[in-house]
Amino acid sequence: MSWWPFRPEEKKESFVEEYLALFKTPIPSIRKINQLEFIVLDTETTGLDVKKDHIISFGAVKIKQGKIRVDSAIELYPESSKSLANTAKIHGLINRENLLSPMIFSQKLLSYLGSGIIVGHHVNFDLEMLQKISSPFGLKSFPNPHLDTLDLAVRLEYGPHINWNEIPMREFGLDQLCERYQIQTEDRHTAAGDAFLTAQLLIKILKSAETKGIDSFGKLFR
Amino acid sequence: MSNVIINRVAEFLRKHPPFSFLEEGDLLSIAQSVEISYLSKDEWLFHQGEAARPHFFILKEGQIMLQEAGEIREYCDVGDVFGILALLGKRPYVLDALAGENCLIYAIPVAIFEKLLEKNPKVSLYFAAGFAAGQVVFKADLEKGQEARMEFSRKSEDHSLLIFSGQSAFRISKNVLTCQPEHTIREAAQLMDERQVSSIIICNEQGYPLGIITDKDLRSKVLSKGISPDKSCSEIMSSPVITRKPDTAFADLYLSMIKNRLHHLILTEDGTSESPVSGILSDHDILLSMGNSPAVLIHALNNASTIEEMAQIRDRAETMLRYYLENEVAMDFVAGVMTEINDVIIQQAIAFGKKYLSKDYPEMEEVPFAFLSLGSEGREEQLLRTDQDNAILYGNVEADLKEKTQEYFQQLGSYVVEAMLSCGFSACPANIMASNADLVLSLSKWKAKFSEWVLHPSPEALLRSSIFFDFRVIAGSLALGDELSFHVFEEIKKKPVFLNFLAKNTLQNPPPLGFFRNFLVEKSGEHRDQFDIKARAMMPLTDLARLLVLYHGVSGINNTFKRFEKLAEIEPNYRELFTQAAKAYEILMRMRAIEGLQNGNSGRYIAPEKLGKIQRQLLKNTFGPIGELQDIIQVRFQLDFFRS
Repeated sequence: MSWWPFRPEEKKESFVEEYLALFKTPIPSIRKINQLEFIVLDTETTGLDVKKDHIISFGAVKIKQGKIRVDSAIELYPESSKSLANTAKIHGLINRENLLSPMIFSQKLLSYLGSGIIVGHHVNFDLEMLQKISSPFGLKSFPNPHLDTLDLAVRLEYGPHINWNEIPMREFGLDQLCERYQIQTEDRHTAAGDAFLTAQLLIKILKSAETKGIDSFGKLFR
Repeated sequence: MSNVIINRVAEFLRKHPPFSFLEEGDLLSIAQSVEISYLSKDEWLFHQGEAARPHFFILKEGQIMLQEAGEIREYCDVGDVFGILALLGKRPYVLDALAGENCLIYAIPVAIFEKLLEKNPKVSLYFAAGFAAGQVVFKADLEKGQEARMEFSRKSEDHSLLIFSGQSAFRISKNVLTCQPEHTIREAAQLMDERQVSSIIICNEQGYPLGIITDKDLRSKVLSKGISPDKSCSEIMSSPVITRKPDTAFADLYLSMIKNRLHHLILTEDGTSESPVSGILSDHDILLSMGNSPAVLIHALNNASTIEEMAQIRDRAETMLRYYLENEVAMDFVAGVMTEINDVIIQQAIAFGKKYLSKDYPEMEEVPFAFLSLGSEGREEQLLRTDQDNAILYGNVEADLKEKTQEYFQQLGSYVVEAMLSCGFSACPANIMASNADLVLSLSKWKAKFSEWVLHPSPEALLRSSIFFDFRVIAGSLALGDELSFHVFEEIKKKPVFLNFLAKNTLQNPPPLGFFRNFLVEKSGEHRDQFDIKARAMMPLTDLARLLVLYHGVSGINNTFKRFEKLAEIEPNYRELFTQAAKAYEILMRMRAIEGLQNGNSGRYIAPEKLGKIQRQLLKNTFGPIGELQDIIQVRFQLDFFRS
């Protein structure tokens, strides 16, 4: 309730504590990229307003040792007050079995993320949306290192010193990048589908980053 | 778990053997275990002598070169499975694997796959056959691909519709092979072999049927079980038998076969097993003698009295076409049959039209004319009812009759075009049809028209006129057609530079493979991301074949693949290439027709990702001859120095 003047400090749930404890030792900067674990994620939301909108579905897949691990792919469907209120009216009945309460969703999310590197296209938006779900349980932010495939692509194509005003952002949408990197775009606009595309994009971008000398965690996060 | 992602991976796998043989559940469990990695060009995947990884590979994108001491032994293309020999044999890799292009590779853990090998004989057979043939990569080239496709092509769908629709004359074998239950299995098999039949009925002394032995029984009950062929027939025969009366309606007979999963139905005098055998009906006979017979269809067309009747028969012909295509019947036969059927429809339509017009134009009966088919029907290769392209040529008449003649043939042309539309053929969007006044002309006007094209070839004019050079007389006076052909060749002889223009035209469509060996697909519009098989693969070959037969002055061969076969005779030094081109064209025709039949359209646009691996490889391989032929044309017609 954002209008409430006295916002009490949320007490951290134990699963949040556990998750936060994972970050005590930072990733050494010389660690090679192919030794890093990436969690490529995407969310499907009701809109672009972090305050008003909410997540309909969450999809992610992990990359370990440079390989997309299909067995690690997940889809989660959080329930939300809004979706319940609206869709229930329309359909009368909705399939609630698959919808996760904010608590369960957050538990599953944090245990899935671990201390891996979070990757997404416009990843900050996804993280803000996810944080909103988990904040009642004491999560203020995700301490994971995170990487935006958009930034990375721009950096590779325009070099390290970027004047963002000169970047034709239109050319760095997920669709455009997939086309440029020869990735078949299907299942667009499902969270898992987009996460899978972003993962393919990432392994291709990382490969070309490697040829430019970006081969370690430190260089990647420069 | 993410179903979206697993399904996406499974969908790719499903298109490629051996994964195509797996059941959905097994396929998904494999898909779930996939690891995807990316190699940039010139990176190594594995080296010779390295211990086998716990994975084997299927190439998702790019190309892998398998090398031995720096020499390329094998290329792997998209969908190829490799790295499995080492795995199953538990020995080191025998070759080096180097990325020839940027590659996306799916790695599949062998542990999961080994379970499937045990469970699924089709998959193990697939690999066993490959290993026996010394294959390191499981792939398909042009020749092998065709064989493989036949092996693995889906069984044709239910043809029963066809059977129930017609009063087809089916044939019941009256002369039935029988033996006694005491006969040995060996004796029964010898009898079957002598008579070249697939079944034998076991009867008692009165001739009452006790059981049946079929080819399949010999396979599954005797050979595979190791039963001695010296045992008596009664031990393995299928018994009791299901019997029917011979005069039962065909639909009932056929239904009882379908219901009881019988390949053979025994007919007895009174329909019970307590009476002598009088015949046998096999599903093989049904397929052969039912509507799947061109003779039946053509006979029916010739006897049709209305256009609606012809339309129905043409629909049935399409079912037959589908059966032929799925069973890999030779393309020259298929094209020949379909051309014959289309021709008969046109001939009948002309006969109807003439009758219809005879009251108003009695004096026109005697005017010689030729109904010309152009384009694909002209080339005898129209399998589907795609655009009709046609025209009318009539003999020169006295000046006072000119107007009336023109009027008459225009009406006749319109009548035929409408009849064709009723029979399901599409209209030509460019209006190249005999209903168009510009295309219903006297011989002298047609001559002038062709002379104009030959004398003043402009690229646009050529684009539009090239299909006219494939004209063929369907009905009427063959002599008129010959006279026009002769004229065309004379004109070209007079102005050979015309061929250079035509040659230039054939180079407009380069082989449709992109830089990444991907298909060049449509960039925009309704068919975005689809491959235009007609414009990008078939038309270039058609144009090349036409150019070269005109160049050699060969007339009377219209069919593109027959043209290439003829060219292989004329130019033996390019025999190989022309033969390949002919084969490529046949494959393209088949693919387009199958695509069209499946989707109920012209089959012109194909989504490359929807094709199976073998199909895709076959399609890519057909592009090879295009580029090579274009290079020859470039040199032969000196197009580097030639300005249009």
